[in-house]
Amino acid sequence: MVTQVCNPVWDGVGSVGGLLLRQAVEWRQAQAEGQGWETVATGFPALDRLLPAGGVRRGSLIEWLADGGAPVGDGCGAVTLACAVACRLAISAAQALASQAATIVVVDRGQRFYPPAMIPWLDAQTDVAATRGRRPQLVVARPSRDDDEIWAIDQALRCPGVAAVLAWPERVHSTAMRRWQLASRASGAVGLLVRGLAGRQQAGAPTWADARVAVAPVAEGDSVSDFAVRRLRIARVGGPWSGNEMRNEMLSDMRNEMLSDMRNEMLGDMRNEMLGEMRNEMLGERSTELRLDLTNGRESTRRHRLSGGAGTPSMAGRFQDDRFPVEGAACRAS
Amino acid sequence: MSRIMTVWLPRWPVQRRLLERPELRRRPVFVCRRERRGVMTVVAWAWATPPRREGASAPPSGRASLSRTSLSGIQPGMSLAEAMAALALSHGSRACHIAEVDQDDPAADMAALESLARSCRRFAPIVAIEKPPQHEHGGPECLQIDVTGTSCFFGGEGALVRTVVWTLAARGIHARAAIADTPAAAWAAAHHTDSLHATLTATVSQPRQHHGGLQKRHYRWAVVPPETHRQALADVPATALRLDTIVAAQLRDVGIETIGGIFRLPRKSLASRFAPQLSQRLAEFTGERPEPLVVPCSVELPTASQAFDFPLLLRDTTQDDLVAVIERLLQECVAPLAAQGKGVMSLQVRLERSQSAEPREACAPAVIDIGVFQPSCSAKHLVELVKLRLARMRLPREIEGIAVEVVSVGVAECRQRTLFGEAAEASASQVGMLMDRLSGRLGRGAVFEPRPVADAQPEHAWAAVPPAARGSSSRSRTTPAIKRSQQDRACENSPAARMTASVAAPQRRPIWLLPRPVRLETVSVVGSAMDQADGSSGPPVWFCIGAQRHEVVKAHGPERIETAWWRGPTVRRDYYVVETSTGSRYWIFRQRRGEWFLHGMFS
Repeated sequence: MVTQVCNPVWDGVGSVGGLLLRQAVEWRQAQAEGQGWETVATGFPALDRLLPAGGVRRGSLIEWLADGGAPVGDGCGAVTLACAVACRLAISAAQALASQAATIVVVDRGQRFYPPAMIPWLDAQTDVAATRGRRPQLVVARPSRDDDEIWAIDQALRCPGVAAVLAWPERVHSTAMRRWQLASRASGAVGLLVRGLAGRQQAGAPTWADARVAVAPVAEGDSVSDFAVRRLRIARVGGPWSGNEMRNEMLSDMRNEMLSDMRNEMLGDMRNEMLGEMRNEMLGERSTELRLDLTNGRESTRRHRLSGGAGTPSMAGRFQDDRFPVEGAACRAS
Repeated sequence: MSRIMTVWLPRWPVQRRLLERPELRRRPVFVCRRERRGVMTVVAWAWATPPRREGASAPPSGRASLSRTSLSGIQPGMSLAEAMAALALSHGSRACHIAEVDQDDPAADMAALESLARSCRRFAPIVAIEKPPQHEHGGPECLQIDVTGTSCFFGGEGALVRTVVWTLAARGIHARAAIADTPAAAWAAAHHTDSLHATLTATVSQPRQHHGGLQKRHYRWAVVPPETHRQALADVPATALRLDTIVAAQLRDVGIETIGGIFRLPRKSLASRFAPQLSQRLAEFTGERPEPLVVPCSVELPTASQAFDFPLLLRDTTQDDLVAVIERLLQECVAPLAAQGKGVMSLQVRLERSQSAEPREACAPAVIDIGVFQPSCSAKHLVELVKLRLARMRLPREIEGIAVEVVSVGVAECRQRTLFGEAAEASASQVGMLMDRLSGRLGRGAVFEPRPVADAQPEHAWAAVPPAARGSSSRSRTTPAIKRSQQDRACENSPAARMTASVAAPQRRPIWLLPRPVRLETVSVVGSAMDQADGSSGPPVWFCIGAQRHEVVKAHGPERIETAWWRGPTVRRDYYVVETSTGSRYWIFRQRRGEWFLHGMFS
């Protein structure tokens, strides 16, 4: 709108003055909107379809709800998927403008992050020609307290040179979440927050995050693979915070408390059963499956082998299949 | 031919004191050095504005008196008593009463001269300070500026030399300047601008000769035209060659007073008849022997401190008060560095404790060490880091003073700013500042950049490197370890490297690795009797983490990792990647004695 109004003015002013004026107005517009951020395709078409903008929009928050089979929520692949998305974001930032710093900040609360699993992805995906010889930078921060963690995530999201912030905060108050959202809106950094069980209780509740994706592993069952491909089932749960949902916050908090009480009461099979139901509810008809290639962090292009996987040539593969027939083991265990 | 300008600051030790304390202009100032047996020797002296006296040959203006070396017959090197006597003789005993006697401080003089040299870089990029004359009283008093090719920007050499003198005069500094072909010739010309100006105007610029009234004026500048310094400076005294007193006395004994007189002697016999210094100085004067210009590079790191009149009580002081003082001190430290194009890499802030308040404790000051990853010359950024630390430390109850000391500096990167908005390049420095803030609060070891290391043991397969500044030259600064890993990556496809590559295959490494392996108490292994010979068995059928039982449906392994004896406690593990019935993946290993551990999660 402003552009149209100002057009006659630009024509009148000399070329340099007009250029500056145009630059100033465009800059003001971008500042005012804060929505001028580009959308980056994650490289996983299944995931892109779930996200509201058809990809990850810079300056947004994405929550990943780790939905493992175990109550611990570990080993389910949500962090792995978030890492792959972070790599993609950093590399596209490095390619967009070679001088721009594309940094991934990992806020590692429990000192658990293991970089050798992620660094090869960055190396494999970085196209040296496109990024003019620059590798995205990976920085790890290890806070030891909860408030330090919240502060570190906030600082990292505020920094314009950061492409993605990866964190797994356990308990997050919605105030902190809102602060993170505003910080990322201003700087263009993408916050990728992996939440465990505590977050899963809130599935369906309103959130400040722009998207909330539940991630669950797919049990491959009988099929034998060499563990290079991870099959994950993803679904969009909950959604962006809307005005009407504000008043639901209190209700959802109450519901969460009830749920956690219930969970403490339940034991063994009962609890598993309930969690299974929750999972099924979340990953209902809307869920889709994606295949993550663990060697390079991209969508797997290999054909899915149902049986007879040829072992890797290394020593590691020598014992693999013949010594441990899965079906047989199950029989013996029972 | 190069063109050198020498700026002579006569009696620099006195001038520096007059600049710092202008009230001294009304009094005679002696700068003295304490020699052996307590004798005070005058290094420099001046009386900027002596009272006018009838009959006495008082100088017409105070400024000019500074350059008059034989005002009252007081020479540098005299004892203070002699100088006082001479002063009393010429100006009366009252002058002795009001005289200011100050200790010689060559370091402060040199520092002030260096800062003046830095400010003179506006005229030409190379500004040197003359080498301190040996066996002489006093330190250097001259700046040497290489003005080759720069005078055209100031409208010619005459305009340039006038600009320099006037610019310094505007700051209250009395200076004389001259431009000539060699540093030695310029030095000689600058010390005799009065006589030189007369000869130059007589020979070169005829039209000025009719200004007879100007003859009395003290000319403070001279320009010796190119290639003519031998003729133009022929009448200048021989001492202008910066000769030792012994050599000057020798010359005087044979009746040679001027530079022209020396040139009339046969050059070949000079070396045998006089000290070697004379022929050396002559060669420098003519330009046969190059004289290097020594540009000062200060290695002194700036410090600033503030002592309070009364100890600050912590209960009466807010943190903002402390921060305000620290910010001012930081600005004092950063400003000289910024002028040199440098930035702070690390600094120390000390809060001095009051000894009376805390007698039991050792009165060590509370120290805040700040380090940044990227040289910073922004006081605001540094104050932010100090604030982060201040908020988290226990402060002394009473603070007597605050001192800021710069510990190390680096070359700061300067970038041109854009008119609107932040340039993309600025984001790199923003990341550097983020690293500083994070490590300021979380601790310096808690923020790092992981680098892969070729090591079989998973815990040691990466190293934490302090994040480096991402400048344009970051690639050239790669350490050997990184180069090696890059080479490894490059030869990953070659058959020889396949073994190492497969060991570090990312799909076999979990994204979460527990800081130390957790022992799995309940593990059921089937087929353990199959292969007791080498102590290895298959993966477990199920295992428990806490109360949760995991059924293993699929496994990959074992991947045996064994370390050598010289690495400390021997590690011998058989790793398995296992997938449970729900699809979760874990990384577990079995030790030699058959115990199972959970080490990582493919989270």
